[in-house]
Amino acid sequence: MQGTTAKPGGRNAGGLAKKLLTYAALILLTLIFVAPLLWMLSTSLKPNTETTALPLSLLPEQFSTEGYSTILNSGSQSPALVWFFNSMIAGLANTALILVTASMAAYALARMEFRGKRVLFAMIISTLFIPPIILLTPNYQIVDLFGWLDTLLAVIVPGAAGAFGVFFLRQFFLSLPKELEEAAMLDGANRYQIFFRIILPLSKAPLATLAVLSFLTNWNDFLWPVYVLFTPGNLTLPPGLSILQGAYTTNYAVIMAGGVIASIPVLIVFIIAQRYIIQGVARSGLKG
Amino acid sequence: MAAQNIEQTGAQPTPPGSGYPTGGKADTKRAFSWTPYVFLAPYLVLFTVFVLIPAVFGLWISLHNWDYLLPEQPWVGLENYTNLFTPGSPTAGFFWQSMEATGIFTLFSVPLLVIIPLLVALILNQKFRGRNFFRAMYFAPYVLGVAVIGVLWQYMLNPGFGVINYFLGLVGIGDGAVPWTTALPWAWISLVGMTVWWTLGFNAIIYLAGLQDINAELYEAAKVDGANRWQRFWNVTLPGLRPVLLFIVTVTILASANMFGQSYLVTDGAPANQTRTAIMYIAEEGLENFRMGSAAAMSYILALFLVLISILNFRFLNQREED
Amino acid sequence: MGRGLVRGRKLTRRDFLLLSAGAGVGVVLTGCGAARDQAAVARTAAEGGSNYTGPPVQLGFWNGFTGGDGPIMLDLVNQFNSKHKNIKIDMITMQWAPDFYQKTPSAVAAGEGPDVAIMHVDHLGLNAARGVIVPLDGVVEALGLRGSDFAPVAWKAGIYGGKRYGIPLDTHPLGLYYNKAVMKDAGLDPNKPPQTKDEYMEALKELKGKGIRGSWVPPSYYTGWHMFTSLLWQFGGDLYNDDATKATVNSDAGVEALTWMVDLVKNDYSPKNVAQDGDVIALQNGQTAFNWNGIWMINVFGAVPDLEWGAAPLPRIGTEKAAWANSHNFVIPNQPDPNPDKLRAIKVFIAYVIKNSQAWAEGGQVPALNAVRDGKPFKKLEWQPEFAKELPYVHYGSSKPGVTEINDNILYTAVNDAVLLNTTPKDALDTAVSRADKLLKQNTQKYGG
Repeated sequence: MQGTTAKPGGRNAGGLAKKLLTYAALILLTLIFVAPLLWMLSTSLKPNTETTALPLSLLPEQFSTEGYSTILNSGSQSPALVWFFNSMIAGLANTALILVTASMAAYALARMEFRGKRVLFAMIISTLFIPPIILLTPNYQIVDLFGWLDTLLAVIVPGAAGAFGVFFLRQFFLSLPKELEEAAMLDGANRYQIFFRIILPLSKAPLATLAVLSFLTNWNDFLWPVYVLFTPGNLTLPPGLSILQGAYTTNYAVIMAGGVIASIPVLIVFIIAQRYIIQGVARSGLKG
Repeated sequence: MAAQNIEQTGAQPTPPGSGYPTGGKADTKRAFSWTPYVFLAPYLVLFTVFVLIPAVFGLWISLHNWDYLLPEQPWVGLENYTNLFTPGSPTAGFFWQSMEATGIFTLFSVPLLVIIPLLVALILNQKFRGRNFFRAMYFAPYVLGVAVIGVLWQYMLNPGFGVINYFLGLVGIGDGAVPWTTALPWAWISLVGMTVWWTLGFNAIIYLAGLQDINAELYEAAKVDGANRWQRFWNVTLPGLRPVLLFIVTVTILASANMFGQSYLVTDGAPANQTRTAIMYIAEEGLENFRMGSAAAMSYILALFLVLISILNFRFLNQREED
Repeated sequence: MGRGLVRGRKLTRRDFLLLSAGAGVGVVLTGCGAARDQAAVARTAAEGGSNYTGPPVQLGFWNGFTGGDGPIMLDLVNQFNSKHKNIKIDMITMQWAPDFYQKTPSAVAAGEGPDVAIMHVDHLGLNAARGVIVPLDGVVEALGLRGSDFAPVAWKAGIYGGKRYGIPLDTHPLGLYYNKAVMKDAGLDPNKPPQTKDEYMEALKELKGKGIRGSWVPPSYYTGWHMFTSLLWQFGGDLYNDDATKATVNSDAGVEALTWMVDLVKNDYSPKNVAQDGDVIALQNGQTAFNWNGIWMINVFGAVPDLEWGAAPLPRIGTEKAAWANSHNFVIPNQPDPNPDKLRAIKVFIAYVIKNSQAWAEGGQVPALNAVRDGKPFKKLEWQPEFAKELPYVHYGSSKPGVTEINDNILYTAVNDAVLLNTTPKDALDTAVSRADKLLKQNTQKYGG
């Protein structure tokens, strides 16, 4: 398929019809993917009575920010702004923790020789195959022992123990030419200097990719925060939305406003870092 | 990054990719150095506390009638496991019902999530203006979490005033009163449909990268041999995509088998627990009803199934390297 | 009881240490486990209660009033706040299940729980056993509350292990709603809803003659479960034996009760497979005449324009009068560092809401406090007094730890299966009982007898 369509200036009439057809398909698909998101935005800007009234109005007939003001002024009932900042703090802290710990470990595994390296690496890799569900109950207990239940630490720290970041960065470090490090070593640089002054600056792209993927994963994580965060003032956005859905069962303007608030940061990250995200995903499929 | 993974507790269900070349030999044998361990230490602490210990600690929990809020955790031996295989026990019926729900969801979502993204990738792989724009649009739902898409679809699928029934009603389908979230088979159609919508972009991007890796000369050669478009797809594209296809199949199976948020938010397991997935039941049993021992036992049984799939995945990827 | 939490933590921590030692890992354990000063609570509990003069305090008040009852409680809270300068009640509402009953115990254990909360009476035992809530005998004494001030059924139910854990706010029973227009059309007297089995069946036959399926049976929990339990008690049965060690729903009474429901479907007095809330919508749309539902529906039906409806006690189908009910109770969650000032303020708050529960009643409740229930404003309400008539014979579910969950997850499933005609009532109930008994045994092991 690729060969034919990519050819410029083939048979023109057929080419044009094909092009039109392609665009029709593309636009239809775009509608399918984007319409629900626009519906969420539109609903969030309606007065609540309009959100369940038939016939449905595609655009707000009566423009209203009632949903947003309810959620933002509800005090400790549904403090969406607090949830937002909690999610931000958790996402950034978790990402930073992953970048620091994974890059250091990955560098040691990629470039240094030490006793037990093979065993250790095999062990870390094998946990990629452990279904995370078996860690759910015991980690709940462990987090409880640390006194972290109902605190952001519960959604920052355990999530940084995954092996993906280590694996991902190790693959990249292995692909770097060794000559740079060897030259630096001849100049008397030690491992720490090499790591911070040579390796990390060379790794901006994979680090950015890992950062964006980690942030998105943490921002969107659901099962774990739903169960380890309890007090409305301590929630992140995903469990907050879940509470919101329960507490405002029929107030869809409020619920959709919450959805919009939770979506905007990731959509902004996505628009800015689209290249890293899509490359990162593609790479995770093709090259590990 | 697997589609809708449930990455909550550390280990991400991401397969490692194409194996691992052996490390460089820059450090030849020499005196013992603390340096590697200093580099490794921060990660290893996390790894030990939140992956290694819980993986074993869970076994210990599963041998008890464990409620972390009670003073005593009575020892019950293997009862939590034997219960799962004893018809009429408190958990067996619900557990296997939830496994069945997970199975049904996986069975219907995986083929769709393997085929439709391929078609989308084939369209995207053509040269046309705005390709990156469209690619981004299709991927956009995936960057939103399950919480957002869950509450959104729960609203859209409402039988009474949901937008889906509203439009179906306008064109005269189902009286505009299809019970999307409360009756079968509609609830499954909803859950599978919204999941396809949500994660399709993820698989399509991987396919697209795979398509772009296929050597263009192969197509030229096939053309010279007089192969038509369909033959080229069948003889060049598909074999070229085989490793990617296997990756996508296994990752999608794992992701589907871990489904939680959609059922939790959209159907709440309705009707009568029939869309309550294994993960959802385990979470309920362990963290809502605080029968943590029983939940831990179930999680190991579920894990056995998932590990089998992972092993297959690993073998496929190794095979690929040998190619 | 309340100390269970503390001991639980120590025990699990030791387990954990053993385990980490075994794995050769030293882990720095920070943690809480602050001792709970029960004595201080008991002391303060016994002090006054009608007025608060201490320093300003803010109290977290959690409940699950996510329906129409939420705004009414919030009004009461706001009234209270405006009348008490030094107390600020901060109300947080979550869905009862799964949110409230999952998050409250966990939050309390983490030392982040609310200062005061509402729980259903059948959840008190579990939460008492797990040390989530504290005994209120001292509070009751300080407030001068006596059993004779309350509806006896509501007052007696708040006891677990010989101690009081809940102060009843209300009772919400199941009753019979009827569509007057539909009854009129079928030639029935719209002001005389059926109250006996014969009258009920007679009415259903009349309605059927007019093409109306008169009594829809919902297979869903709301209100299939409540209908079944009401009937079970009407036929003289019960869910469990006296100490709730064995399930007894498969008794003759249970089978009769469930068979009666199933027969409504089989004899076409109800469609098969009624969707969630389908029975409610049918009554609103004039597709059916009767609906067994909770008192909380008063304002829902009241808000439907042009709907002519009424409410009455449940008809007696079995051998005795009975109706399912539940009750909202004030509870005080366990605190790592109980604050005597807060406790004083909590008492003032509880007393205020209970004494001012007329507004609460208007939201669709029968107040527990006699003074309110016997008051003129309550008697003037149109439908609530109909439900209050059921008080002498309403039944609450057992509050033994773990039983509510067995009701909801196992016994209810039998009702669902039978009403959907997947299996016979007898088989459905037998299966449920054998499962329930095993869980009851586990629960005895966990929570003690």
